[in-house]
Amino acid sequence: MKKKTTLPLILALVAGLIISGCQQNKRQEATDLLYDSKKEGELFLHMDMVKEMISSVSNPVEMSSLLQKAGVIYSQDLLNPAGNIDDYNTNFQRALNLGVYGTNLVYMNIYDRTLSTLRYLSNVRQLAADLRIEQFFDYETLNRLSESSRNIDSVLFITNTGFDNMSRYLIEQDRSNIAILISTGTWIESLYIATHVQTIPGNRDYINMRIGEQKKVLDNLLLLLYAYREEPDFNWLFEDLMDLKKIFEDVKISYVYAEPTMQELNGVLIVIDNSMSEVIISDNTIEKIANKVAEIRTRVIG
Amino acid sequence: MSEEILKALMQLFALIAKQDVGISEKERNFVENFLKQQLNESTVKEYLALFDGFISSDREKNSENTIESGEHRLTSVKDSVKTLGIAKKINRTLTQKQKIVVLVRLFELINSDKNFTPQRMAMIDTAADVFNITREEQLAISTFVIQNDSNKADIPEILIIGCKNAFLEHSHFIHSPQLDGKIFILRIKSVDLYFLKYKGDDEVLLNGLPVKSNRVYLFANGSVIKPAKGKPVFYTDVAARFITDPTGLHITLRAENIYLTFPNGTVGLQDINLEETTGKMMAIMGSSGSGKTTLLNILSGIQTPARGNVFVNGKDLYEQKDLIKGIIGYIPQDDLLIEELTVWENLYYSTKLVYKNLSSEQITEKLEKVLISLGLFHIKDLKVGNPLDKRISGGQRKRLNIGLELIREPSVLFVDEPTSGLSSRDSENVMELLKELTIKGKLVFVVIHQPSSEIFKMFDKVLILDEGGYQIYYGNPVEAPIYFKRIDNQINSDIGECPRCGNVNPESIFSIVESQIVDEYGRSTGKRKVQPWEWANFFKKTQKTELIKESFRELPDTSAKPGWLKQISVFFGRDLKSKLSNRQYILLNLFEAPVLAMLLAFVIRYIEDPSSGSYIFRENDNIMPYLFMCTIVALFIGLIVSAEEIFKDRKILKRESFLNLSRSSYLYSKVSILFIISAIQALLFVWVGNSILEIEGMFFEYWLVFFSVAAFANVLGLNISSAFNSAVTIYILIPFLIIPQMVLTGAMFSFDKINRGLGGGSEKVPVIAEIMPSRWAFEALAVNQFVNNEYEKQFYTMRQLESVFNYKNVYYIPELKGIIEQYISNTNRAEKFPIDPLDIELLYHEVQKENNSEYVSFHNIVFNDSDKLNINDFNLEVANDLKLYLDDLHEFYRQNFNSINRRIDNLISEKTSSPEGRQSYQSIYDMHYNTYLARFAKNTMAPLPMVRLNNKLIQKIDPIYLNPQNNSYLDFRAHFLAPVKNFMGGQVPTLYFNVGVIWIFTILAFATLYFNALKRLVDYFEEYSILKRKNNKN
Repeated sequence: MKKKTTLPLILALVAGLIISGCQQNKRQEATDLLYDSKKEGELFLHMDMVKEMISSVSNPVEMSSLLQKAGVIYSQDLLNPAGNIDDYNTNFQRALNLGVYGTNLVYMNIYDRTLSTLRYLSNVRQLAADLRIEQFFDYETLNRLSESSRNIDSVLFITNTGFDNMSRYLIEQDRSNIAILISTGTWIESLYIATHVQTIPGNRDYINMRIGEQKKVLDNLLLLLYAYREEPDFNWLFEDLMDLKKIFEDVKISYVYAEPTMQELNGVLIVIDNSMSEVIISDNTIEKIANKVAEIRTRVIG
Repeated sequence: MSEEILKALMQLFALIAKQDVGISEKERNFVENFLKQQLNESTVKEYLALFDGFISSDREKNSENTIESGEHRLTSVKDSVKTLGIAKKINRTLTQKQKIVVLVRLFELINSDKNFTPQRMAMIDTAADVFNITREEQLAISTFVIQNDSNKADIPEILIIGCKNAFLEHSHFIHSPQLDGKIFILRIKSVDLYFLKYKGDDEVLLNGLPVKSNRVYLFANGSVIKPAKGKPVFYTDVAARFITDPTGLHITLRAENIYLTFPNGTVGLQDINLEETTGKMMAIMGSSGSGKTTLLNILSGIQTPARGNVFVNGKDLYEQKDLIKGIIGYIPQDDLLIEELTVWENLYYSTKLVYKNLSSEQITEKLEKVLISLGLFHIKDLKVGNPLDKRISGGQRKRLNIGLELIREPSVLFVDEPTSGLSSRDSENVMELLKELTIKGKLVFVVIHQPSSEIFKMFDKVLILDEGGYQIYYGNPVEAPIYFKRIDNQINSDIGECPRCGNVNPESIFSIVESQIVDEYGRSTGKRKVQPWEWANFFKKTQKTELIKESFRELPDTSAKPGWLKQISVFFGRDLKSKLSNRQYILLNLFEAPVLAMLLAFVIRYIEDPSSGSYIFRENDNIMPYLFMCTIVALFIGLIVSAEEIFKDRKILKRESFLNLSRSSYLYSKVSILFIISAIQALLFVWVGNSILEIEGMFFEYWLVFFSVAAFANVLGLNISSAFNSAVTIYILIPFLIIPQMVLTGAMFSFDKINRGLGGGSEKVPVIAEIMPSRWAFEALAVNQFVNNEYEKQFYTMRQLESVFNYKNVYYIPELKGIIEQYISNTNRAEKFPIDPLDIELLYHEVQKENNSEYVSFHNIVFNDSDKLNINDFNLEVANDLKLYLDDLHEFYRQNFNSINRRIDNLISEKTSSPEGRQSYQSIYDMHYNTYLARFAKNTMAPLPMVRLNNKLIQKIDPIYLNPQNNSYLDFRAHFLAPVKNFMGGQVPTLYFNVGVIWIFTILAFATLYFNALKRLVDYFEEYSILKRKNNKN
């Protein structure tokens, strides 16, 4: 009896030991990874510079105010389909599209599209988690807030602070590349919506002006991306944006400086740039920009 | 006897009587007497006239022809032919026993005037030959009828009862000193009939009726001869002289002063004494509830009395149980048959369990013999069926039950109510079978209720119990009515059986024993005339202790039973055969698992994208619930298949406990069959379920877990089926066994969110869940599905590192730093208690952990002053040091996180760089990775990524990437969904470790089953509650 019951036990033990042996090998592999990491070179850009430049790129909420002012007509077709998230496997794709979806989220929220909002919110959260920066989104709160259109402001606020904090954190963590990509994604999507959205006819000019102003922002972005241009994916992005820059060269901006002021907008303190800049941009250029940005965006959202 | 036969007999008598010398007065008287025995007065005359008619008609013919002896010869030839014709006619209607009786009567006829002419003898020979009676027996009969001298009757077929032993060489002898003359007893072995003849002048009574000298009487079962003076001679005494047990075994069973009290306080048995020896059949009778079956159980050793002993050949039945067990057989009232098997198979497996050395030919031969003697040979291939679904009759079932014991031939056999529910014909058949056993030298105890006279007389002795377990009679059955009548002062009290028909009415005993006092209106008062204890006292006074020479011979060796392994194979074969022959059972069991799997999998096969028609495994949110359901289904199927197994076999086990068979071999065979069934069910379930849900490449692992759980449930089911005594109880119990397992798998309710009193929300899995095999199974499946799928495999090691570094970088180190910063600022503000002692403990604890971390050898960042991390030594300096240390550590984790994160990214970029690569990457991703399960395994829904429990920080996110930290060598407990388990200093993947744990549970359950621990527990509680109730009453 005794002999018979111990037999399976011994077998199980033997099996266990063999397997744990295998596990040991696996650990070995893990430490190899660790060892290598120490030798790796780091960092291309200075942290403060990146921070400053990124802050000049419009974040999703800025776009919201732009669109609200312009009274644009909502169009679902402009959004990056939520299902595309499954195709984003690399950090490069994820970061860009985190920006894209963030922009979409804000765009939708303005028009009370609560049902779709949840999916986009979940996508933002998912991409952030994949990039291991999930700590900046309190998913539960956002989820709760999204249930009612009265909370739009709060959702926008949390999303916005989430994006800001995320950028700052990434830069501090030596992951500026990710931060830059998120901003680039946001910028491209904003520009895409701005160039493709339908507006009340009289307001088109206002939007076009804002588009023209992006010339400077693009310069900053390219500066940041330049540091990473050698990396495989950055490569095409940089080149494409360079092409865009060439189109933007047709835009003329004259600048009249005035002291900026602070103002509270929906509970958020924002800096109002009081400097007047006069933007001269032809419809032809707008169209060219629209086409180019659509082309780049198609590549971005995969 | 029919008219026709009687007529034929008269003719035969006439034919023989008239030969040679013609009929004498004595012969005619004999015929008249013979007829008087059979018929009433008027018909006797009628038949005597017929006889006379036959004689005279023949005589007339004879008188015409007596002149020439040649013609005379011719007539006797004619008569011979006639005899032949009559004998043949008789042959067709009479049984062998009856034919023997006829022959005896023929001899008696010619003996009445001693005219043994050759003609007459030749006629008798002719008749005997036609009757198929052997020469030896013919000779024995003629010797017995004719000879009155003991010396001339000295043949082995004859027994002589007399006062002096005249040197007899062959015949048997019983000494009866005061008897005048001799009593001769003839035994016809082939039909087991006894005849009696008395030669002497005393008044000798046969069953209370006087015996005429020199007349032959049938000496039937249970008869008793009483000489005028001296001891009576019983049938069994006679039979015992003739029969010598072929095995030469002599067994005595002696019960002394047996007392028994039931747990509820009622008295079961009071001072029972008995003594029996080989070759006897004893009846235990009594009104219902008087303790008959209890006594049988005590004598057979199933139950132990409160006081008193039972000795078998001088060996204590209860102390030397193992020695005695094998020679005891027990046939309970209920069936012992396996319903699904045929008559033949039932016997076959029984035989296999009893004899190890028989070849299959020998077994076949043996079985055929037994089946023929049971009269069951023609139905040997019928299934036994159950009493509701009758295939064979009640009598046949009973005979088959007895047949099971016949094969084994135990020396002492206990039979509980063998005739209940049987027709009187079947009852007699069954009793004759048992009687035959005593002739083979067995000792048989039978509990019997309301036996017919015929059956009652078969017993050698009867023990009568009265209410309250009093022994009120023990002795010869025919004597019993006489005894009670005498005490009751009834008329005819000396006549035990009906003088005309020879019936003994056992009912008359009970009507005397239980007769009630009637009031003046003749209504019975419900009070007994004679109380049981009074009867017992009467009995004690009159009891003559009749000493039997107790045998102290060694008991036979019963070790012919097969060995342990062989037993397993016989049990296994028997069980398998009975299961296979139950088509419903097989079909249900075979289809249960795949049908459930299909139902389950089909219902939860879900396509997330409402616009798409193609199923993507990755997007199916139901995989985690599926894993959960797998474990529950396994438990259910495993339990249900086994829950009735032992319960169903209970009765058979009770019988087989006398065979001294090994319990473990029975259990092993049970378990192996169930395991095979479960393995097949697991195979079918996993195959169907996983195919429908398109779970790729995990077949073996799923099967292993499913099978392990089902196997555990099998053994668990066996436990309850052996402990509880009704099917309903067993099925009521199943929810109690399943629901806690469902609740505590960790799938339905997060261990973080269960009652803290039960260990919820702590670092490790709550102890209460650790004892649930379902939790181990579910964890094994979930971890394995996540870690070892084709997609995750590519990255798991890297992602694990990434997760560790991320946790430390984002949550862990900042939290520690926060505590220190709080301290520094508190100190600067000169607060009285700048730091909570618990915080210090926490710092100490966590720094120790970091100092011992597996990465120390890479970064060499160690905090050397950890001994100063206590409330006394902690100061600003230490705090600053600690802060610097944590900064270094933070930097290390940050860098390594970035590095590993980039490496993973590069790997993916590389894989997806080409369109084909991208496609294949995506398809692996879609086919093997499951998003919802991943979310569950990474615990991303957790409200907090890290919690603080007193002096510890506990990681709550990414449990699937967190290797458990254990301090002690044997501590295997871990957090839920840990990818590996620490055990004996190594790490075992969760799948195999958990499966091991389930098997340890299974082995433990098997041990409790083997030692019947659950049954003992249940019995203990039952007894306890009875005692409590009794105390409450008092």
